[in-house]
Amino acid sequence: MTTAAADRGQARARKSRLGRRTYSWATLAPVLVIVGVFTLVPFVYAAWTSVHRHVLVLQGRPFVGLRNYQNAIEDPLFGDSIKTSLIFVGVSVPLVTLAGLLVALLLNQRVRGFGILLVLVLLPWAVPTVSAGIMWRLLLHGDFGAVDGFLFRIGAIDSYIQWLSNPTLAMASVIGVHAWREFPLAAILFLAGLQTIPPDLAEAARLDRASAWQRFRYVTLPLLKAPLLIVLVYETIVALSVFDLVYVLTGGGPGSATTLFSWFTYTATFKYLNFGEGAALSFIMAAVLLVCIVVYMRVVRLREDVT
Amino acid sequence: MRRRRRIATALYACAGVVLGLIILVPFLYVLSASLQTESELIRRPPPIVAPNPTVDNYDYVFTGAVPAAYASKELLRGTVTQDVRQIPKGLRNSFIVALGTVLINLLFGTLAAYTFARERIRGLYAAFVFILGSRLLPSVAVAVPIYVGLRSMDLLDSKLGLVLIYSAFTLPFSVWVLTLYFSSLPVDIEEAARIDGCTRFQALRHVVLPLAAPGLAAIAAFSFLFSYSEFLFALFTTETSRSKTIPVIIASVSVNPDASYTLIAVGIVLSMIAPILFALVFRRYITSGLAASLTRG
Repeated sequence: MTTAAADRGQARARKSRLGRRTYSWATLAPVLVIVGVFTLVPFVYAAWTSVHRHVLVLQGRPFVGLRNYQNAIEDPLFGDSIKTSLIFVGVSVPLVTLAGLLVALLLNQRVRGFGILLVLVLLPWAVPTVSAGIMWRLLLHGDFGAVDGFLFRIGAIDSYIQWLSNPTLAMASVIGVHAWREFPLAAILFLAGLQTIPPDLAEAARLDRASAWQRFRYVTLPLLKAPLLIVLVYETIVALSVFDLVYVLTGGGPGSATTLFSWFTYTATFKYLNFGEGAALSFIMAAVLLVCIVVYMRVVRLREDVT
Repeated sequence: MRRRRRIATALYACAGVVLGLIILVPFLYVLSASLQTESELIRRPPPIVAPNPTVDNYDYVFTGAVPAAYASKELLRGTVTQDVRQIPKGLRNSFIVALGTVLINLLFGTLAAYTFARERIRGLYAAFVFILGSRLLPSVAVAVPIYVGLRSMDLLDSKLGLVLIYSAFTLPFSVWVLTLYFSSLPVDIEEAARIDGCTRFQALRHVVLPLAAPGLAAIAAFSFLFSYSEFLFALFTTETSRSKTIPVIIASVSVNPDASYTLIAVGIVLSMIAPILFALVFRRYITSGLAASLTRG
C-alpha cells in the first residue's frame, strides 16, 4: 500500500518534471528558432561563402581557399579604409566620451529648467541615423547651408565653405555629425554613474574644503571609471560599424576620403555583387569587432569585481 | 560663498542654453525649411524662420497636389515627384514593421526570459549563452547570407522578412533585460499564486507582468526605435513600396541630385515624428533601461 502510494507520488513528480521541461523548452523555442535562423545559419553560410568564388553575375561556385581574403587585402582601398576607420575611431570616440562626460556633469547640477534638457538630450539619439544624416547634409550644404549662413553672418568666414566636398572637412563633418548623434548615450550612462555617488560623500568633501577640482578628481572620477570604460569600448564598436551616416552624408567621398572600413565592405559586397569577397571582408571586420567585444565584456566583469 | 554659487549657477545656465541650442537648432531648421518654398530656402544666407510658412510641401507629399510655387517655376522634377510620394507608405511600413517587432519581443521575449529567470533545467544555461552570444556577431557578417536566405524563403521585399530580421537582432537584448528584471522580483508572490491554483502561465500573466511593466516598457521602446530606424538590412532586402521603410525612402530621395530641398526637409520631419514621440513618452524607461543594461553587465 505504502509502496504503491510512493510509486504514484514518484510518477507524479516525474510527470511534473517532464511538464516543466516541456514548458521550459516550449517557451524558449520561438526565440531560439528566430535567433538561430538569422544568426547561426547565416554565419555558417558566410564562412562557406568566404572560401568560395561567389559573384552574383558569374556562374559556378568553385572552392578558392583563401583567395577572397587575399584579394580583399590586396585591394589598395583595403589599407586606406582601415586607416580612415582608425582616424575616425581615434577622433570620434574621445570626442563623444568627452562631450558626454561634460554634458552629464552639467546636467547633474541642480539648476532650474534642466529637467527639460534631460528630455531634449535624448532627441539626437532617438531619431533615425539616416534622418539625422540628411538633416545635417542640408545644414552643411555649401551653397545655402545654415552653418555657412550663420558663420558668414557673424563674420567668421568670408566665403562659403564646401564642407562635404573637401576631403579633410568631409571627414571632420562625418565625425562631427556622428558625435552629435552619439553624445546623448554617453551622457546618459555617465549621468547614471554620477547618480550612484552618495550625496553625503560630496557634501563631506565640500565641508573638508576640497576644491571643485579636488572633489571631481577624488570623489567623482573614481566612481565614473566603470561607465567611462564601458562608453569607450561601446563607442569604439559603434564607430567601427558606422554605415548609415556615410551613406547619406558623403557616399564614401570625396574620392575615398570618408571610405570607412564598414563602407568599403558594403561597396565590395553590394556594388560589385562579389559575395565571396564581401564575406571575407565581413569576417575580418567581425574579428576586429569581436576583439572589442571581448575587451568590453572583460571591462564589464572587471566592474563587477570592483563593486 | 552665496555669491560664488550664484555665479556658478549662472554659468551652468548659460552652458545649458548652449547645449539646448546645439540639440534643437538643427531640428528647428529642418522644420522651418519644410515650411518654405524652394526659392525662399535657397537664398544666401537662408532665412532662419520661414518668412511665409506654408504646408504646401506636406500637402504634396500626402495628396499629390503640386504646390503653386513649384508649378509656376517648374522647379519640381519628375524623378523626385514619385520618390517623395512614397513617404506616407514608408511611414506606414516602418510603423507596421516596428510594431510587429515590438509584439514579438514582448510575447516571445517575456516567455523565454521568465523561464530563464525561474526554471532550473539542464541546457538552460547553454540556451541563454547561445541567445546572448548571437549578438557578438556583427550584422555585416551575416548580411549576405540573410539576403540569400530571405530570397530562398521568398521573404525578400516583405515586411514579415524585416520583422523576423529585427526580432533576431532585438530579442537577445530584450531577453537579457527581462531576465535581469524577473530575477530581481521576489518569488514569494508567484508561489502564493501557484498555491492558490494558478498555472505557471497564469502566474506570469497576472502576477509577474504587472510588476515587470517598466522592464516591458523599456524593451518595447528599444525594439521600436531600432526597427523603425534600421537602414542597412532595410536597404538591401526591400525593393518596392510594399516593404520599403521610411529610412530607405528618404535616403533614396536625398541622394538624388535633383531632389527638391524643401521636400527632403518634409521627409526628414515626417520620419522623425514617431521616434521622437516614442522617446518622449518612454523617456524614463529608456534612461533606466540603458543605465541598467550597460552597467549591470
